[in-house]
Amino acid sequence: MTDPTLIRNFSIIAHIDHGKSTLADRVLQLTHTVADRDMQEQLLDSMDIERERGITIKAQAVRVMYDADDGQTYQLNLIDTPGHVDFTYEVSRSLAACEGVILVVDAAQGVEAQTVANAQMAMNAHLEIIPLINKIDLPAADPERVRHEIEEGLAIPADEAVLASGKTGEGVRDALEAVVRLVPHPVGDPEAPLKALIFDSYFDAYRGVVALIRVVDGSVSKGLKIKMMATSTVTDVEEVGVRRPANIPVDTLGVGEVGYLITGLKDPSLVKVGDTVTLARHGATQQLPGYREVKPMVFTGLFPIDGDQYPDLRDALERLQLNDPALIWDPESSHALGFGFRVGFLGLLHMEVVKERLEREFGLDLLATAPSVEYHAYRVKGDMIVVHSPQDMPDPGHLDHVEEPYLKATVLVPPDYVGAVMELADQRRGTFRDMQYLSATTVELHYEMPLSELIMDFFDQLKSRTKGYASLDYEYIGYRASELVKLDILLAGKPVDALSFVVHKDKAYARGKVLTEKLREIIPRQMFEVPIQAAIGAKIISRETVRAMRKDVIAKCYGGDISRKRKLLEKQKAGKKRMKSVGSVDIPQEAFMAILKVDE
Amino acid sequence: MTSQTGDLVTPWSDTRVSLPRHLYVHVPLCSSRCSYCDFFSTVDDGLPEHAAVVGHTVALLRGWLTPQVRWSALETLYIGGGTPTVLGPHLVQLIRSLTALIPLASEAEVTVEANPESFTPALASALAAEGVTRVSIGVQSLDDSALVGLGRCHDSATALAAITAGVDAGLDVSADLICGVPGVSAEAWERSLRGVVEAGVSHVSVYPLTVEAATPLARAIEAGETLAPDEDAVVDGMHAAAAVLGELGFDRYEVANYARPGHRSLHNTAYWTGKPYIGIGGGAHGMVDGAQARALGLAPEEGGDIGRARYAYAAHVLPGDQLQPLSSIEHLTVAEAAREDAMLGMRMSEGISEGLAVRARVTPALESLVADGLVTFADGRWRPTERGWLFGNEVFSRIWGVVG
Ligand SMILES: Nc1nc2c(ncn2[C@@H]2O[C@H](COP(=O)(O)OP(=O)(O)O)[C@@H](O)[C@H]2O)c(=O)[nH]1
Ligand code: SF4
Ligand SMILES: [Mg+2]
Repeated sequence: MTDPTLIRNFSIIAHIDHGKSTLADRVLQLTHTVADRDMQEQLLDSMDIERERGITIKAQAVRVMYDADDGQTYQLNLIDTPGHVDFTYEVSRSLAACEGVILVVDAAQGVEAQTVANAQMAMNAHLEIIPLINKIDLPAADPERVRHEIEEGLAIPADEAVLASGKTGEGVRDALEAVVRLVPHPVGDPEAPLKALIFDSYFDAYRGVVALIRVVDGSVSKGLKIKMMATSTVTDVEEVGVRRPANIPVDTLGVGEVGYLITGLKDPSLVKVGDTVTLARHGATQQLPGYREVKPMVFTGLFPIDGDQYPDLRDALERLQLNDPALIWDPESSHALGFGFRVGFLGLLHMEVVKERLEREFGLDLLATAPSVEYHAYRVKGDMIVVHSPQDMPDPGHLDHVEEPYLKATVLVPPDYVGAVMELADQRRGTFRDMQYLSATTVELHYEMPLSELIMDFFDQLKSRTKGYASLDYEYIGYRASELVKLDILLAGKPVDALSFVVHKDKAYARGKVLTEKLREIIPRQMFEVPIQAAIGAKIISRETVRAMRKDVIAKCYGGDISRKRKLLEKQKAGKKRMKSVGSVDIPQEAFMAILKVDE
Repeated sequence: MTSQTGDLVTPWSDTRVSLPRHLYVHVPLCSSRCSYCDFFSTVDDGLPEHAAVVGHTVALLRGWLTPQVRWSALETLYIGGGTPTVLGPHLVQLIRSLTALIPLASEAEVTVEANPESFTPALASALAAEGVTRVSIGVQSLDDSALVGLGRCHDSATALAAITAGVDAGLDVSADLICGVPGVSAEAWERSLRGVVEAGVSHVSVYPLTVEAATPLARAIEAGETLAPDEDAVVDGMHAAAAVLGELGFDRYEVANYARPGHRSLHNTAYWTGKPYIGIGGGAHGMVDGAQARALGLAPEEGGDIGRARYAYAAHVLPGDQLQPLSSIEHLTVAEAAREDAMLGMRMSEGISEGLAVRARVTPALESLVADGLVTFADGRWRPTERGWLFGNEVFSRIWGVVG
């Protein structure tokens, strides 16, 4: 156990790519936590997908020992956090285990949307904020401008902002000194019954659920009988330890310390993130404030291309959920695609990451339908139906009205591009709220807009129309009534439920038309002509045709060709496997995503 | 019959396994390379020397003659390529050497593939004298600009002269034609069809122009220098061929092959009806049954369900290379062999018998094809329809069991 006055708990927060993970690397090196020869870039990003995409998906806690200028050795518990808006909940959890944050801002990019969002989260949690202007080695670095943006835009004093480069290591020591000096040490009652917060957890195939905890009061050591308060689960402590970044067992975790806890429990639902750990007997009575529930916002159908993989998909989802409580799902069946699951995600990146992991780590071949949001359909007879999938939308005749989730979207952009952003937001049913200059070079715009519009390629459009300068953040603000209709797509005269989508009635014609055109390009020619129609109810609003293929034959087949041609047929089959046969029509996977790329 | 002991082996009985009655010999040389071609062949620039090619080819054949096997007289011999006729007089010698090793059955079909520029009247009569009965000439088109586009090194007059040379030498002549060549009008295509028939062929093969990967044609299309074949033109060309040749008394006996009665290619028919054959030469393939495979060391001597083995030579077999450089051996089970026969049989107008369909367990697939109008069933035989021929891949895939 360490004297709490020698402990500092802090998170590193920033907009994506401003250099959090690289900064964490330098801290690990400077404190000799990781030997130079074991060092690799963004060391804490340990998942394959994180390393390939260069992003942090899961927050990572690590303990380092720092010899400060005052001659004392401090225990620093550092949490590297993801920057992408989908994973905001990871940031909020991490913050609950800390007394302070380093707010990293790229010296060239300046304040961006998630800088604002993360800084606000830290302020609301009453944490000490240490601004750090990073990447000062870049030729385009403009620390003075950025300092100004931090002060003006975020109302955070920045005259003492740390100037640093995660690349060269410059200023990293200054940052740790600032942490020691400014971040309050944890305060708790060592004599009180144990109270510890579970701020994260992961599943280990051998050890079961590993909870990451922050001790608030009391202490926890091996052999102790403990209780998870929310689930009233009583169990023994099998091991406690600290992450450096590998797990190192210790005897005891005391007040203010961050570490891991292994109980041998195998069921993640018993070890809830946000729950409080206390003593089994004479424990605390009052739980620590839990975190906000993470609520999936985006839903998509995941179907195995090979129907036999359905049970494997279920197993894989269960396995992934052990490490990703934000993932939820329900079985779904589609006439077109058979049996699958309607899976809820935090956002599009989360969806992509999960799909990729399912395919890569579990060897599944999946088809995803276009993402949709959760609609609330109020029926004439007075009840409300939650609709996660367009195909479940009640008939217009039974509908009183439909509500859809709205967001407050924050866009930060240089003044020159304000017009472009406004135009795009307008097309996407955005309602302008306000706009302010964070500095001469950055404008902050606020819009209210439906989430359903945002998941339709909004971010890519925003980026391309602003030459990459715009950044986006959003938060959910509630449900609002909209005039929505369900648009059905018919192939060869038959509705394909998995292609249906919900759209605002003013956009229905335009989107129906563009989508049928897109589908005509995507759907390969088949033995028969394939009419593609878009319909609202019984009314056809647009029509295209995929011409029939006229021949498909291997013309020459003599002695030498036979094996080769047989293999060719097998290869074609593999190609077809990437498609889904609906009735007699082979539909490639992109068709189900085409609606996302429909830009009027 | 009289012996009760049963363990007496008559000393003079021949226990050696009999080898296939069909032989294919590949001559991988051409005068020049055509733009669409992806066959294994090199330009004949005098090296390797023709005599060496003959010697090497004969040596390859000798390599198959092991003590465990014996040859039966050949029913068909096919010298293909490439362009065997570039060997000129050496081709005659090659055939003489081959048939000295393995006798021809009486009435054997002996085909030589030829290209117009190297098929002279003198060579035609020399070949006929050596036992050649049939010549298959790569005419491709009688439209001179199409011939240039295809990278052929002859014109239409040379092609017609070659046909005449074959006919005059008393050979059965077949012409290969390519349909769907961009720039060739429907009328010009019909002129090619009628032209070869008037010149005296008794057999025509019609292939749609196919763009094979990594050929000069594919590169030219990629670069936008030439047009890709148009699917409509190709299909219209196939229909026109069926109509014109039908009218002229030719029977379409396979998806790409037309013959006057009694003039089908027996050698090619062997491929489509599951008859074993030996192939020799660079890139050549062969197929032998289970017993033959074991005797030839192409399969384990015992055990395993081996209905047939297919092998291929490496594509570089030339004089100086090793003699047995097989690049692949593939085993099919008895059931797979039956399915393969069913699949290949459906290329032919005769289709396949009910019995074969049952043995190959493909009746349900055939029924689904009937439902889709690609196959018919009558008089105890399953046959492809015209549409089934056009969508051969669908037919073959379902029979092979790779779809559905
Ligand atoms: N030039 C320069 N590049 C940096 C610096 N810090 C990070 N980077 C680069 O910026 C990119 C994003 O860094 P990363 O640490 O993954 O950012 P994160 O998304 O905030 O964790 C990577 O390509 C880093 O190599 C720095 O101080 N200087
Ligand atoms: S003559 Fe035949 S084998 Fe030779 S290059 Fe032309 S197409 Fe190919
Ligand atoms: Mg990171």
